[in-house]
Amino acid sequence: MKIVVTVKQVPDTNAEKTFDPANNRLNRSTIENVLNPFDEYAIEEALRLKEKLGGDTTVTVLTMAPESGRDVVRKALAMGADSAALLSDAAVGGSDAMATAYALAQALKKTGFDLILTGTQSTDAICSIVPAAIAEHLGVPCLTFAKKVTVSDGAIEVQRETESGYLRVSAPLPALVSVTKSANEPRYPSLKGIMGAKKKEIAPLSLADIGADTALLGDPGSRTRVTAIAPVGPRPKGTVITAADATEGARAVIDFLVAKKVI
Amino acid sequence: MNALVIFVEQEQGALRRIGFEMASKGAEIAKVLAIPSVAVVLGAGANVAAEQLKSTPVDIIAAGEDVPVEKYLLDPAVDALEALLKEKGPSYVLFPASNAGKDLAARVAVRLNAGVITEATELSVVDGTLVAQSPKFGGSAIATIDFKDSTYAVVLCRPNSFAARKEPGKGELITLAAPAGKTYVAVIEERVAQEAGAVGVDEASVVVSGGRGLGGPEHFDIIEALAAALGGAVGASRAAVDAGWISHSHQVGQTGKSVAPQLYIACGISGAIQHKVGMRSSGTIVAINKDPNAPIFEFCDLGVVGDIFQIVPALTQLVKERKGTG
Ligand SMILES: Cc1cc2nc3c(=O)[nH]c(=O)nc-3n(C[C@H](O)[C@H](O)[C@H](O)COP(=O)(O)OP(=O)(O)OC[C@H]3O[C@@H](n4cnc5c(N)ncnc54)[C@H](O)[C@@H]3O)c2cc1C
Ligand SMILES: Nc1ncnc2c1ncn2[C@@H]1O[C@H](COP(=O)(O)O)[C@@H](O)[C@H]1O
Repeated sequence: MKIVVTVKQVPDTNAEKTFDPANNRLNRSTIENVLNPFDEYAIEEALRLKEKLGGDTTVTVLTMAPESGRDVVRKALAMGADSAALLSDAAVGGSDAMATAYALAQALKKTGFDLILTGTQSTDAICSIVPAAIAEHLGVPCLTFAKKVTVSDGAIEVQRETESGYLRVSAPLPALVSVTKSANEPRYPSLKGIMGAKKKEIAPLSLADIGADTALLGDPGSRTRVTAIAPVGPRPKGTVITAADATEGARAVIDFLVAKKVI
Repeated sequence: MNALVIFVEQEQGALRRIGFEMASKGAEIAKVLAIPSVAVVLGAGANVAAEQLKSTPVDIIAAGEDVPVEKYLLDPAVDALEALLKEKGPSYVLFPASNAGKDLAARVAVRLNAGVITEATELSVVDGTLVAQSPKFGGSAIATIDFKDSTYAVVLCRPNSFAARKEPGKGELITLAAPAGKTYVAVIEERVAQEAGAVGVDEASVVVSGGRGLGGPEHFDIIEALAAALGGAVGASRAAVDAGWISHSHQVGQTGKSVAPQLYIACGISGAIQHKVGMRSSGTIVAINKDPNAPIFEFCDLGVVGDIFQIVPALTQLVKERKGTG
């Protein structure tokens, strides 16, 4: 079985963000990139499925990113993925989430797959729409927000988180599943894994390779447009008091809430 | 654009507040654009839900009682929405930023080649077109976004962003038929309710969160009691979730939920950056922590240096007294 995990590079949360006034895009050059923390759960789930299913099961990671995406992919390889593909092309720069999903779907047609695993969101975009859009492009069952994944005999079953509990959902393979944080505890790359990752192949993919229509990509292919972006200043520091006892502390809070009209 | 369509989630006839928020805002925007607003409810209970939507200012309420969304995961809803939207022609479509809302938005958008704006916290009309605001990069920036070259335009709306208005509109009822001649393979085998009726942290207007300072799962009862007294939801830091004291669905922060309630009360939470990014857009932030140097005191509106085990129960009592429930 071929499992493909889509992973994204995201700017480190701790980094100071600045935006290019010319196009309202993030100045990615000034900040360190990391593997989207949500994607680690998808990688871990893929590795666990491989361990369980054995045989000819392989785990490939796929990312669409500039060349710097290599570093992020290395981490996934160090965790234990077998191979990687990096879709990198100047024409994809500026793609919004929907255009990104189109490109990834085209790339997945090229790599082939029985099961696609993704994270549930990326820490920079937090849009959570890429997975479902990929599934729709490929016409495969879309089983998102899974906290438990079971594969057997060409079929898959997941527990899908909802706002009020979960649904147990089954479907035939091939399928796409996005994996939530509750699914597992991602492993740390071992020293052996880190050394081994250096030797693993990261296959470059271009738009020509995947037969993508450039009119649907990058800025021209994006149907949304950021017209302004403004950093939010720090919240002004409020009042901090030291309570002599419980009653005084509680009283201070209630008076404040009443004054603020929140209760 | 010919119409503004609002997808409202319902379960057995019950609506969540976000449905009323979106119906109110959607109707307001449609009115400015001089196009009809259409609320859509699907699945068993849709007719009951439709009656409730009559209290909102929408023009048309489309109910698809027979669309089998409780049997098959979302596929019937995608088909029903696609059919409705093709019939309406160029439209704006609003979805709630819930798990199902996100999937539907993405899939309908692929079918109709639509643009999608996610996590909208404000909608307005500028020069005759819809413009949205959306927090980016963990709330450290606000983007203003509009659509280009879009015949259909999809917006995902964050809960707690718009006021729900009780103000009946035309409320004309129409029936949506189940998609005909389709077979579906993603089967819902079982529906498990974990916290029936509870409002999730991302939708509640008050969130009371507990962190490592609680010291153990048995102490979450003081957080639950304060949340209950305030009519709010219980949140948690990752430290509390990782310790197994409470389930991940309560986690606020970078790897949990992003919340923006009117009131956020952090109890025994230090205020790490990864927690902050999930709650800093809240209306009012109150923090109770025994360490005067806790980072959370740098960005709260009111900070109380003290012991949560003392202050939280005392506060719960005062809230009950104030509300006449204690
Ligand atoms: C990639 C990544 C993602 C992360 N995502 C998240 C996330 O989504 N959400 C999140 O919350 N964290 C997240 N974290 C973890 C984050 O960095 C912090 O470790 C975590 O928020 C700390 O939780 P805490 O404040 O409960 O615990 P601590 O930092 O240990 O703070 C406990 C606080 O309780 C106070 N206290 C103790 N006893 C009492 C008492 N009796 N009365 C009053 N105060 C008391 C202490 O003074 C202390 O300030 C993430 C970290 C990483 C690396
Ligand atoms: N550029 C990308 N390359 C590979 N995978 C991506 C990319 N963008 C998003 N994804 C996948 O889609 C998931 C959801 O991301 P998003 O919809 O951006 O919040 C992520 O967890 C990734 O698995």
